Amino acid sequence: MTVRFQRLLLIIFSLIFLSTAILLILFNSKKNLIFFYTPSEFLNSNSGIGDKIRIGGFVKKKSIINKGNNEYNFIITDLKNTLNISYKGILPDLFKEEQGAVIEGTLLKNNIIEASTVFAKHDENYMPASIKKELENQKYWKKEYK
Amino acid sequence: MISLIGFGGLIFSLLCSIILIFIFFIQNKKYSETIFYYALYGSVISIIISFLALMFSYVSSDFSNYNVFQNSHSSKPLLYKITGTWGNHEGSMLLWLLIMTFYNLFFSFNKKLDDDLKKLTIFFQSSLYTCFVLFVLFTSNPFLSTSIEIKEGLGLNPILQDPALAIHPPMLYTGYVGFSLVLSLALAGLILNKIDIKWIKTTKNWTLFCWSMLTGGISLGSYWAYYELGWGGWWFWDPVENVSLMPWIAGLALVHTLMITQKEQLLKRWIVFLSILCFSLSVFGTFLVRSGILTSVHSFAADSSRGIFILILFLVITGFSFIIFIFKSTDSNKKLNLLFINKSSALIVNNIVMLVACITILLGTIYPIIIEVITNKRISVGAPYFNMTVLPILLPGFLLMSVAPALSWQSNRLPKFKNYLILFILMSILSSLITYFTHFNVWGFIGITLGLIVIGASTLSIFHNYAKYNFKQFFLRNNAFIAHIGVGIAILGVTCSSVFQTEHRRSLNIGESINIGKYSLRLEDTKILEKNNYQELLAYFSLYENDEILSKIKPSKRYYHVSKMITTEAGIYHHWLQDFYIVLGNQKDNKWDIKIYQNPLINFIWLGVMIMILSGLIGIRKK
Repeated sequence: MTVRFQRLLLIIFSLIFLSTAILLILFNSKKNLIFFYTPSEFLNSNSGIGDKIRIGGFVKKKSIINKGNNEYNFIITDLKNTLNISYKGILPDLFKEEQGAVIEGTLLKNNIIEASTVFAKHDENYMPASIKKELENQKYWKKEYK
Repeated sequence: MISLIGFGGLIFSLLCSIILIFIFFIQNKKYSETIFYYALYGSVISIIISFLALMFSYVSSDFSNYNVFQNSHSSKPLLYKITGTWGNHEGSMLLWLLIMTFYNLFFSFNKKLDDDLKKLTIFFQSSLYTCFVLFVLFTSNPFLSTSIEIKEGLGLNPILQDPALAIHPPMLYTGYVGFSLVLSLALAGLILNKIDIKWIKTTKNWTLFCWSMLTGGISLGSYWAYYELGWGGWWFWDPVENVSLMPWIAGLALVHTLMITQKEQLLKRWIVFLSILCFSLSVFGTFLVRSGILTSVHSFAADSSRGIFILILFLVITGFSFIIFIFKSTDSNKKLNLLFINKSSALIVNNIVMLVACITILLGTIYPIIIEVITNKRISVGAPYFNMTVLPILLPGFLLMSVAPALSWQSNRLPKFKNYLILFILMSILSSLITYFTHFNVWGFIGITLGLIVIGASTLSIFHNYAKYNFKQFFLRNNAFIAHIGVGIAILGVTCSSVFQTEHRRSLNIGESINIGKYSLRLEDTKILEKNNYQELLAYFSLYENDEILSKIKPSKRYYHVSKMITTEAGIYHHWLQDFYIVLGNQKDNKWDIKIYQNPLINFIWLGVMIMILSGLIGIRKK
């Protein structure tokens, strides 16, 4: 192999590598994005069964049902609409009624979401920025939530 | 009073570094050199005083200091009073400043570099320092005092009340901030056109040191998240993690380029580019994390006014550096001897792979922000995106890594190619056997094969290199291979612990046990303990292997009185081949919800990382 040919090979391989990388990024950013909705937004969206989504809102008062064996049902609300969530696993320590929470999961059927992960407020001063924004929009924002 | 001393120290340190900057321009005067160094020492000493003052306020629970009031409590154990100094935004920025001047001080002891290069580097480092002191003074002053008398503080976030807080942030910052010195060196070398063998050696040593510290800091943080969050994992592709990974990868590319090119003095411009990139990424990461633009599980309290300041800082530093980079050229490079497979092309491939990985992570991290600005839709980019893009991109790098250090500079062949080929085939067969006897998974197969190949090929190279060395020479000579063995071990650990992790969920009565293969786990008892500043609910588990007791595992929940917060402490038993990881859930009808993870080979990750850090530090000694 001449030196020239070897360099050409090297350049070709680099180009193949780069375009594979770009393809991977494009393909995955289409497939692996998770949209974030409040319950109302979710009902207006055209999500289909089996879609991966994130829902942010409040845990409705007295809606947490402990079915035993690490299984829970609860309701997430943005004070206009509600969504039923089922979850198998250990709930985070700060998951409480009337507190902000974000759940990630898949849509099982209309209005029922099977959560794979539940995020709660990180500490007393923390609220996911996106929930905060939504609450501010709806004038439900209390000053004591920092 | 003590806050005043601290604040005074901060101001005096700023004054000293401004004096240093001005005195630098007065050349050929009798006293300028003396004043230059005294200004440097003055700024170091006064920032130490300032830092100690803050620490003292924390230890003595001086709640007239607003920062102490917000983040401390008198019932906190002494360890967390001390480490609480940097457990908050303001204090951690003070730590940042402290480390920044330490780098400047220790660099000023360098005797190998030419005097003008050294002074210009100290000048740039002091200028960077001045920028950050201004940032602290204007947006995050830790010495604000309240005139109202306050008896008690609000307490430190319970998640931070952990021994890891003592080492993780200082180590991480030693890494992050260290890149500022690399940047100063690059700018100074570029302006004076002195990027020669001495410059490369000095920069190599500093880069290796701060890269090793960054590695240690990141892995400690990840180990901390592993046992604190109770999610059974150690890496979540969380924005804060990604942001630390980017300068790490760029630093890795820089370390490789410096190590390999030091004899040949190739690619000088590229080295300078990477040096600038590392610190730019560090500052950019700080901006993303501290401004609160991204939400993260490891989040610091955020404030958008700080964000704007850091963004400006980032733009100024990066902009200035790249403008100098564009207008000043290094002296003519030697020609790269690019062949299909030799050391220089391996290096190029390494750099391309690392930079592309870095860009991919950056895109995934800031993509949600871009989308939100453009379409007002909120999205999140989850772990699958990163796993599906970054890992395949790194793949060719890992493959190349196994043989790259053994490649030659000039010729186009791998010495003793046959041995490597046989080894590759053997390792592939071995990994096929392993997957055949466990369960098949594509990622698992690829990961195990790669790990085995990297370890095997590096060991083979050490074997080829064999000569009669003494102990020290052995490590110095085979440094690169040893580091790569560390990477291989870590690959095995990462693959097995993520792909073959098993998860069991149960509800148990006291006295009941569950069987997991040949192991069985029994819930013996639960107990409530009163500790200094929290109440702890402990569950006692016994782990049996074939009816023989292996260990007790004690997962717990803690309730912190001051902040009214509950935290989960996972109970972990480190068996040498796997971790048993138990999280305690809620109680219902006398039954405790528990979650058990079996994480195979997870200890290999920490072992591999330790090998990498050690060989990074050994690399400093290498001539």
